[in-house]
Amino acid sequence: MSQSLRPYLQAVRSSLMAALCLSNFASQTAERHNVPEVEARTSPEVLLTPLTIARNENERVLIEPSINSIRISIKIKQADEIEHILVHKFTRFLTQRAESFFILRRKPIKGYDISFLITNFHTEEMLKHKLVDFIIQFMEEVDKEISEMKLFLNARARFVAESFLTPFD
Amino acid sequence: MSIIREHTQATLSDAWRTINIDALQEDSSVNFDTATLHPPQPEISESEARQLQGQVRQLLRGGDAEGALRGCLEAPVYNGSELARETHLQTVIEVLQSIKASEMTPMLQRIYASPGGSECLDVLMKYLYKGMAASSSSSAGSAPRTPSRVTPQPTGFSQVGARPGAPTESTGAAMSVLLSWHEKVVEVAGLGCIGRVMTDWRRV
Repeated sequence: MSQSLRPYLQAVRSSLMAALCLSNFASQTAERHNVPEVEARTSPEVLLTPLTIARNENERVLIEPSINSIRISIKIKQADEIEHILVHKFTRFLTQRAESFFILRRKPIKGYDISFLITNFHTEEMLKHKLVDFIIQFMEEVDKEISEMKLFLNARARFVAESFLTPFD
Repeated sequence: MSIIREHTQATLSDAWRTINIDALQEDSSVNFDTATLHPPQPEISESEARQLQGQVRQLLRGGDAEGALRGCLEAPVYNGSELARETHLQTVIEVLQSIKASEMTPMLQRIYASPGGSECLDVLMKYLYKGMAASSSSSAGSAPRTPSRVTPQPTGFSQVGARPGAPTESTGAAMSVLLSWHEKVVEVAGLGCIGRVMTDWRRV
């Protein structure tokens, strides 16, 4: 792991550990409803201060805590246009399968590439440190995955171009 | 009067669907007054923030980094104009950048052990998060090099277009200072100080 990545992930980890203190909280506007307050935004007093952790201008994490849910949004590093397209395809692939990831939000919030929504029901049935580990591992893996895909794409493009141009040689 | 309502352009459109009717009700939870959640704070003007900045710079020049850090953490701008807040944030970041990495932990421990030190570190944590949020959003808003819109290039996909160059390096360096401070503050003051940043309504 590179030197500057470690404090970044460490900061995300400790912030998540502190933010994941969720309790059951029924909606105050609709009777017998229980909605994630961070999404509904119907009670301003249960929304806590959002935290931003940034490594540089292109890589940042936004944590929006509330009484019964937290929303984590990640902006993945995109150095050039190929990476931009790869990140878009990759996150779209994941969000289309959001049901199997439980905490994945179907749509990222504006300005970010992928969002997670953890409610008190998730923390009740899953282990908190494992949830945090999952997010951290995702952040570690995604950069690696994107750069790997980029290398693979370039190699493949070169091979295709070569075999396409061979008859004209 | 006929029962069938006249359809006008206004009733046919579905703009009324987006009206939040809860907000119109006075006792609805949407209208909770969050000002009741924190004591009133004295308003700090920009000139006062600048004055403090000058004092803190003088302490820094005199070599008293700890005094400078304490000085700016004991007078956070909770209530003030945007400019005053920005000025104070700049002051805090200046102090943080001038302190060497080896001095961070002992200094934080000294501050934490002193009376009122725990609050100081909470304030420091608030400014660390604000610093990261401010510099990432301001640069992302102005910088054209963020690949938000993809323009097809005549030669296909070029990699020279948006390589992170010199301008990102300076913000990256500023961030890494904030990140290492964040790590040290958590080591000294524990996770509780992040929790207090989130739950405190006195926002910087």
